[in-house]
Amino acid sequence: MSPWRLEYLRLTRTKKWLALVVVYVGFGLVGPLTARYIKEILSSAGTSDGMVITVPDPTPADGIVQFASNAAQIGTLVVVIVAAGALAFDAIPEMGVFLRTRVSPAWRILVPRVVVSFLAAAGAFLLGTGVAWYETWALIGAPKPAPALAGAALGVVFLAFVVALTAAVAQRMRSVLSTVMTSLVALIAMPLLGLSPAIARWLPTSLANALADLPSGGTMHDYWPALGVSVVATALLVWAAFAWAGRREA
Amino acid sequence: MIRTRGLIKRYGTHAALDGVDLEVPVGSVYGLAGPNGAGKTTLLGILAGLRKATEGEVAVKAETGEVAVLSDTPRFDPWLTGREVVALALTLSSGTGTPTARDSADRVDEVLAQSGLTDAASRRCGGYSRGMLQRLGIASTLVARPSLILLDEPASALDPQGRREVLDLITTLRGQATVLFSSHILGDVQEVCDTVGILHHGKLLFQGPLSDLLVGRAVPRYELRVREGADAVAGALAREAWVNSATAAEGGIVHVEVETLAAAERHLMGALAATGASVMSVRPEEVSLERAFLELTS
Repeated sequence: MSPWRLEYLRLTRTKKWLALVVVYVGFGLVGPLTARYIKEILSSAGTSDGMVITVPDPTPADGIVQFASNAAQIGTLVVVIVAAGALAFDAIPEMGVFLRTRVSPAWRILVPRVVVSFLAAAGAFLLGTGVAWYETWALIGAPKPAPALAGAALGVVFLAFVVALTAAVAQRMRSVLSTVMTSLVALIAMPLLGLSPAIARWLPTSLANALADLPSGGTMHDYWPALGVSVVATALLVWAAFAWAGRREA
Repeated sequence: MIRTRGLIKRYGTHAALDGVDLEVPVGSVYGLAGPNGAGKTTLLGILAGLRKATEGEVAVKAETGEVAVLSDTPRFDPWLTGREVVALALTLSSGTGTPTARDSADRVDEVLAQSGLTDAASRRCGGYSRGMLQRLGIASTLVARPSLILLDEPASALDPQGRREVLDLITTLRGQATVLFSSHILGDVQEVCDTVGILHHGKLLFQGPLSDLLVGRAVPRYELRVREGADAVAGALAREAWVNSATAAEGGIVHVEVETLAAAERHLMGALAATGASVMSVRPEEVSLERAFLELTS
């Protein structure tokens, strides 16, 4: 029983993998469907007071946009919850003692937890993206692959940042709940800062919108600053998590 | 195996440990006795590397993988089976020297059997009773054959049967490893330990062989029980020249402290017969760790 298998079992036996897949694949199925039939849905809902709602014909980009905008929020929430459950290993002190007295230095406890949490989140996100792309192709038409791939890659970088942030926060908090809440507050605060366009393009959270933006005509040029900041911040957060894990008293 | 010098741990202004000089001999089963809040868990935490001392020196002659720690209420991921928990403990403790799969499986089965968990080994430990979790904790502690085992109140939260099983398990460790065992239940310490440390308000009041503690405080004493008239019996015995003191207690009990056991053996029965009391029992009082502890801490 290796620490890597432990993390695999954590995902499978607690059904946390299912939560990730349901959210991302679910939105991957529903997003393009909504984009394709939004006109019919609104028509069947009827109009009142002579108001007429005009909806343009769906484009292939719309299918991906629908998926990405839904997945960015709910998906990130689920990723934080799943990651916090694995990374806050001192939340139950007796379990922390079990691990800390057997693994030295303490950062080695975190390695499989960070990696497996990230791989599970990225895998579910890419699976959902693939489902959304396929359904969009089937219902509306093929989205341009290159922008969709670039957007998905930036989304994966954002998820790496989210997992690293959760790992660092978990080493300063005493429970899974406080880890989730603090991580979410940090992630929500970034878009608030991003209300200023000059700042927005530097924030890691802007990468979450890349999958919606790039197939709709956005350019990679807009995302280089956020990509650079995200990579550096992810590395710093992982380093901080490892350092804090070692300094903490159980 | 373990030596501390002037060990101090402060939480704010409160000193949880106040100048502790601990000396745990190699191969001993050392009982760290003291009431709740004495500083036992803090001391074990420092020895295990889980906490940092404020001041003082700590020397533990064992590598990380050779030290095993069991907390008072061990908990594990409830979706793991008992066998998986023990196998994980073996892998983590082995570090880079991971044993072969075959050796691991055999060793895991061996300690599960030793802990009486063979039948429950394939069940998820989320359904284990408290006693089973404690035994699973001990199995996880033993599996990597540590040279130093730190047990924090391992039997205190268990029912009598669970406590008996855990104490028996600890007894089997004698000769296999050095064991430091903390408890506020002095009877447990007296039963399984050969060396004792008495910790009270963060200070180590005594440490040494259990026999030194008990013999040093041994006073020849008898406990009598009479059907009625305990006060009169105590009064009559107190007037005897070979009796230092005699006091009546509830339930017809009389405690008699004598100059020598030999004098009591010669005169006690005659003196009792002279009182005319109905004597239900007469027995020499053994010095218990509890009495020694109370004398030290009072």
